[in-house]
Amino acid sequence: MSNKKKYSMLASTAAVAFILAACGNGDTEDTTDNDNGAGETDTSEDAGEESSNGEQDGPQPIEFDQRVENDGEEIEGGTLNVGYVSDSPFTGIFSWELYTGNPDAIIMGYTMGTLLGTDENYQYDDSGAATFELDQDTNIVTITLQDNVMWHDGEQVTAGDIAFTHEVIGHPDYAGVRYSGDLANIVGMEAYKSGDADSIEGVRVIDDLTIEIEYQSVGVQMLQAGGGVWAQAAPRHYLEGIPVGELESSPEIRENPIGYGPFKVDNIVPGESVSYTAFEDYYRGAPKLDRIELETVPTSSAVAAMQNASYDVFVGMPTDQYETFKDIPGYTILGQDENAYTYIGFKLGEWQEAEMDGEEVVEPAQNVLDPDAKMADKNLRQAMAYAIDNDAVGARFYQGLRRRANSPIIPNFADYYNADLEGYPYNQERANEILDEAGYVDTNEDGFRETPEGEELVINFASMSGGEVAEPIVEYYMQSWAAIGLKVELTDGRLHEFNSFYDRVQADDPGIDIYQGAWGTGSDPTPDGLYGREAMFNYTRWATEENDEFMEQMLSEEGFDIEWRAGVFNEWQEYFMEELPIIPTLFRKAVTPVNNRVGSFDITVGADLDTPGAGLHTLYLTGEDRATE
Amino acid sequence: MWKTIIRRLLLMIPQILILSILIFIIADFMPGDPFTGLIDPNLDPAQLEAMRESYGLNDPLPVKYVRWMTNAFQGDFGRSFNYQQPVTAVIAGRLGNTVRLSLLSVILTYAVGLPLGIVAGRYNESVVDKTILVYNFVSFAVPIFVLALLMVWIFGYNLNWFPARGSVSISATTPWEIWKSQMYHVLLPAITTAMLGTTSIIQYLRSEIIDAKVSDYVKTARSKGVPIQKVYTRHIFRNASLPIASGFGFTIVSLFTGSIFIEQIFTYRGMGYLFLQSINTRDYSVIFVLVLFYGFLALIGTLLSDLILMAVDPRIRID
Repeated sequence: MSNKKKYSMLASTAAVAFILAACGNGDTEDTTDNDNGAGETDTSEDAGEESSNGEQDGPQPIEFDQRVENDGEEIEGGTLNVGYVSDSPFTGIFSWELYTGNPDAIIMGYTMGTLLGTDENYQYDDSGAATFELDQDTNIVTITLQDNVMWHDGEQVTAGDIAFTHEVIGHPDYAGVRYSGDLANIVGMEAYKSGDADSIEGVRVIDDLTIEIEYQSVGVQMLQAGGGVWAQAAPRHYLEGIPVGELESSPEIRENPIGYGPFKVDNIVPGESVSYTAFEDYYRGAPKLDRIELETVPTSSAVAAMQNASYDVFVGMPTDQYETFKDIPGYTILGQDENAYTYIGFKLGEWQEAEMDGEEVVEPAQNVLDPDAKMADKNLRQAMAYAIDNDAVGARFYQGLRRRANSPIIPNFADYYNADLEGYPYNQERANEILDEAGYVDTNEDGFRETPEGEELVINFASMSGGEVAEPIVEYYMQSWAAIGLKVELTDGRLHEFNSFYDRVQADDPGIDIYQGAWGTGSDPTPDGLYGREAMFNYTRWATEENDEFMEQMLSEEGFDIEWRAGVFNEWQEYFMEELPIIPTLFRKAVTPVNNRVGSFDITVGADLDTPGAGLHTLYLTGEDRATE
Repeated sequence: MWKTIIRRLLLMIPQILILSILIFIIADFMPGDPFTGLIDPNLDPAQLEAMRESYGLNDPLPVKYVRWMTNAFQGDFGRSFNYQQPVTAVIAGRLGNTVRLSLLSVILTYAVGLPLGIVAGRYNESVVDKTILVYNFVSFAVPIFVLALLMVWIFGYNLNWFPARGSVSISATTPWEIWKSQMYHVLLPAITTAMLGTTSIIQYLRSEIIDAKVSDYVKTARSKGVPIQKVYTRHIFRNASLPIASGFGFTIVSLFTGSIFIEQIFTYRGMGYLFLQSINTRDYSVIFVLVLFYGFLALIGTLLSDLILMAVDPRIRID
């Protein structure tokens, strides 16, 4: 036999081996996850014991400082090292118009600059580089720049730069994800987008510092950061020569970006790290630090990096490992509520595609409630909410970093959050009572309740894999529901990977009756994007006329009266928690460890940027080396 | 011989084609798409849908495949969804890191493996041989990710001798500094790889040498009065290295594939890291190109191995 033959067989085996290697690695990942999960199962037993021992006082939700001040002589300049904990590397698109992922938003935050300041409700105020005015009568938003705001190359930031950012996103060749109905709301934007007009009619530069943007309609949500006004600026003089379609791969965006923030980009190692140097002409004053170096740290080694005092500030520290890093000497841990909540959603209907008559939309795409859905009875939903002890989940699984949610509006929206709502504290008896009254009784003696019609009730529960405690929490929920006689099974008997989970939830997969998910809320409290009738992200497909009315009121003109609007929000939350299309389960805290050599650090929402510690330009160090005690 | 090489190269075309179809089908089974991860109330679902449409994600599989192939023949391998860059640029950005790491690993592997194998074979059954064998069994048994984690933990975090992550320091600016920093970062993962990569080299070399020691040509040479050292370098080593030479083609192409485990654990951004990341985020265009590239390399590796074997062993002739 010649050698040739022998090796061609080897070659095909090798090719197969490559494919298997691909699958094999996926599996290995999963196994690791499971190991972690299994390791944490002990905790789940603890939680179980805890609740069966009766009402013991477990760990309480932790309150964190949002500001730290360290004593010590301020040193001249110095380098601040930031560890950005993330498993997805940043893409490195330095452009508010073109970036997609959160990691890019983080690295841009040091250098690109923001136009408008916000208050503690994420509402625009006059504390930024520009001021903002909304005229309800004329539907015009006026943005007025300060006259000392400079790009990193020395040119002044002008109204033309604000117009430019609109022109980029609205451009027919624009390939990013930021174009939205909010931008289409600008007068003339659609004509510009389709290529019928050379300029956007509603975007008018008044003088070097003033721009007017005319909208077809304005709403109170536009006073809110991210609420519909695109308040950014892009350097026209720097990017003008590049075709919009090629912007995102141009070196002006990727390698030598400029902004008007406190630090200039110095060096970028793609996906790994970015260094910044102080921008002396920053409009709020020159930064005290010479340099910031940011490095991506995978979640698996974040704690080890902290033990080694590798960084001054850790952004995005994984909260499920809190127990392992809370006592590391040399650091103060600051914390605040995340703009997010975890929830369990009930599938209550279906998404209906738009009905078209030729080009004309007869009936827009919308959520349609199904009165016969398995979860349609709100008594059943309420009982399920009472049956689970989210206080214990927050305390036990998340070491107090999460706490039971009482509303779909997060507490960070101070004016809109209804703190008086009781929500659904753990109450097994109440859960049993509700089910008994609603007619869910065990008729065939199998230990599980049947529907009032006497049919067997099996609820399919879908949840995502990933993280240290995903599995034990799901186990705990299912045990709790079994304890009130509800048969809840995992969809397909396992947890689902992120992509397939959302694929199926979004497609109203009939194998899913309830699911556990989480929402980031952004900075606009208005919930129409998540619970409105025409919202695709309303995955429960819950839509009622009463709810429509609330949404309409929230977005109505009377809403400019904030007090009145807050009243509507309060009522809506009451109504929502009564109807309970989702159980808001947990509010979450994010923690930021700060090394004790950092002079002061402040993560308060809406803090005045000139307060030491709040604005990046105010940061300073008190020692040449990081503190280790 | 040239005829054979050309024939083998031509044969690769259908092999690659079949591979590409397989990958396309398998990738299509993966749930989700690059935009699934972008569920965010601040993004307009309509815009995401428009982008799916513009990237052609909604087209049926055969349409996608034909379009991709047509473009690929024109040198356009598509754009990465994740990085918003041409796939070739994304891969090119990682290739340098991987080649540097693999090259150093290979050099270290051979630098350790060859002498150990020779010593073990020449002095077999001695204490030295037994010690080497123990090392060999241990390195064969320990999974690479276990050792890698251990190495990061000890030398990266506890002793602080080596950087625990990354491929270059951000503060390095001059070419010399960058090069130094890159070597510094690559050292620990390369040592780790080399420590476990020596098994087959040592084992093959040792047993071949032991066999050769008692073979006729060695006895002849010795009886002719050739010094023992010369017998080893001229006769035995040359014959004993044949099985190692046969794997050398694969070793060369493995320079470009990178190691998923090592790169993941050392957070070293090379090809293996990119591959895993792309699978997790459904960056189809990158996955296709990478798997095709790997497949192509495997074929080239076979060919190279044959050629190398032919060069070192005059008895083998490819017609």
